[in-house]
Amino acid sequence: MKTPSATRTTFDYRAPEDLDGLADALGTARGAVSVLGGGTMLVPDISHGTAQPDTVVDLARTGLSGLRRADGEVVVGAMTTYRDLLTTAPAPVPLLRRLAAGVTGGPQIRNRGTVGGSAAFANPSSDVPAALLALRARMRLLSPDGVREVPASDFYTGPFATVRRDDEALIEITLPDPGAASFGYVKFKLSVGSWPIVTATAVAESGGGLRVAVGGAGRVPVAVMLTEPADPADPEWLAHIRERVESELDSVGTWTDELAEGTYRRRIAGTIAARSVAALRGDDERR
Amino acid sequence: MQPIRLTVNGDKHEVTVDPRDLLVYVIRERIGLTGTNVGCLTGDCGACTVTLDGRTAKSCSVLAVTADGSEIRTIEGLASPAGLDPVQEAFWKENGFQCGYCLPGMLLATRELLDEDPDPAEEDITRTIDGNLCRCTGYTTILRAVRTAARRAQHRDERPERP
Repeated sequence: MKTPSATRTTFDYRAPEDLDGLADALGTARGAVSVLGGGTMLVPDISHGTAQPDTVVDLARTGLSGLRRADGEVVVGAMTTYRDLLTTAPAPVPLLRRLAAGVTGGPQIRNRGTVGGSAAFANPSSDVPAALLALRARMRLLSPDGVREVPASDFYTGPFATVRRDDEALIEITLPDPGAASFGYVKFKLSVGSWPIVTATAVAESGGGLRVAVGGAGRVPVAVMLTEPADPADPEWLAHIRERVESELDSVGTWTDELAEGTYRRRIAGTIAARSVAALRGDDERR
Repeated sequence: MQPIRLTVNGDKHEVTVDPRDLLVYVIRERIGLTGTNVGCLTGDCGACTVTLDGRTAKSCSVLAVTADGSEIRTIEGLASPAGLDPVQEAFWKENGFQCGYCLPGMLLATRELLDEDPDPAEEDITRTIDGNLCRCTGYTTILRAVRTAARRAQHRDERPERP
């Protein structure tokens, strides 16, 4: 019996088992390539014809999951799931655990959805991309030519678009070890199960310096550096953060979809950013 | 087309699949277990929930080829020869379903929750079923069923009465 398929055309499928195999698969893949992580976004897109790859390169067997520390950095494997973020103790980056706890769609999504998948899919409404900007992440891309690193701030070029080439896969994300930094994470959405409308991530590094990244409001995530002292209760400071965030959004363009207009997202972005600063907390949840 | 091997509810299967075949369709149409439902095909509704290598997954969002070599449990594998799983009994007792379309996903998600935490907080219960949409019950009886199942999990010797 014929199995129902939602897609009209099939594709080549490659499931490399290590990085050499991955580089080879990327180098020899036919046509338009989709790199498959946990599948929670790409597979439905294939089913509905929104994605029509000629080749799917599946990272499932590459062993690219988990968090590790190396040379003062935290390395997050692209296939690290939200569940991994929630269960890795102690959490090397508490912010990522807080972020994972707020991902909706049920345990089924948190079990399979990956940090690398969310990062590379570049959905403006996803939680991960803006958080990576706030954490000063670097994206490690593998191709047949080797590995290159791109700062998260240069990675996103538009909604669902990044600098990643067709012969590249995001294999790891590296973050400077946050040490004793404190984090604030706030997302605004219209209902529990909804995609976020605007997210804001604040990172206050122990050596001073406060960075706030805003997701969902712009076509790409934006980040601003703020001078301390930050006082979310001070109207002048609030006006300042609003102005800074809106200026960044104006330079990249706002994001509109069926859930909210860009003008609305822009209008609330500064407030959500300020709330993320008000929500800054230390490493009490690191254990 | 390529051959894959799946262990479903303890039984080994070898099936030949197209790379685009979704796991949910392979389970239903090729293996013949139709308790796993097809809902939205977007990963939102949870009707297609199965357990994949011990963790719940939405089988509409998994390519069958990705699952090659996996152990899968479907709703048909939840009860034992001795009777229904306590989670199933709790949903029955509390009328935790009407049309039943979402039920397989609700049951497997609840089972996973209680396996990890026999005494879940209310917040953990709602977070557990927030990936399973029910259009009949308004969730009230479902939440009650999960709480009942949790209570029973802590007092295993108190078998529930059959309704």
